[in-house]
Amino acid sequence: MALKVDTKILIVDDMSTMRKIIKNMLSQIGFTNISEADDGATAWPMIENAIKEGRPYEFIVSDWNMPQMSGLDLLKNVRATPGLEKLPFLMITAESEQGNVVIAVKAGVSNFIVKPFSAQVLKEKIDRIFK
Amino acid sequence: MSILNDPSMKEIVDDFCEEADSLFNLLENSLNLLEEDPRNTRELEKFGQIIDRIMGAAKSIGATEIALFCELGKTIGYKSSQIKEIPLIEVVVAILFDSLDMLRKMNQSLKAGNNTSMNQLNTKAFATRLNWLSAKFKDIERASCAVPDEKLNQNSIDELMKSLGL
Repeated sequence: MALKVDTKILIVDDMSTMRKIIKNMLSQIGFTNISEADDGATAWPMIENAIKEGRPYEFIVSDWNMPQMSGLDLLKNVRATPGLEKLPFLMITAESEQGNVVIAVKAGVSNFIVKPFSAQVLKEKIDRIFK
Repeated sequence: MSILNDPSMKEIVDDFCEEADSLFNLLENSLNLLEEDPRNTRELEKFGQIIDRIMGAAKSIGATEIALFCELGKTIGYKSSQIKEIPLIEVVVAILFDSLDMLRKMNQSLKAGNNTSMNQLNTKAFATRLNWLSAKFKDIERASCAVPDEKLNQNSIDELMKSLGL
């Protein structure tokens, strides 16, 4: 999938601090079309509506640990939806445990990033996903 | 340069302090419920999940001491949620109450941009105490939200109780 500056991106994180940090980094990288959701449970209807409107999200950046719907459950919903099987999905977590990586990979994550991370590391992950 | 040391990022640091304060209230609520009923170990797991959220943001803004306390609190919360021994859980809850108090003070210092008051908190001594408690749970592998429940063997629990003098 081609990477454009207006790639439609959804950041999903329950901490507004993290959403601001990630949005800031994505803007630094050059992206301009960025939306936010404060939980997987908020993100999921946004993703569904975007499909109905014919303007689906092209890249999801989601935290793992959220109170209502985890990033893992959001990923499973995405992967179970026809047309979203290949939607680029970057999982963010504060955990660096091997078990988490394995679980996320099995669920179909595109890549995995551990907090804290820099804009450069985020860019590298994005480049790898979209190469 | 970390976000914490970047004057142009002050708004993000202020937001973090506000969010952390509201999450500290949720942590306190979990601990209060546990104090009332130490058998309600689901609250310890919930404690671990909430403090994990603060930890991620603290690491990201460069608030390393807060992140360290949260990391230890998370490990202790998740691991102790797998034990059934009430006297041990009561000790854990008491220490987590103290940790929460320390976290609130650190957050206040961060909000005030006051490194001197942070230094006066003697966080290192307290972190050593938390590390000690965390080490007592070394035989319990599950320390995060991701890995499915594992059953602890009784020998591990007995050893843990003994080492804590319970």
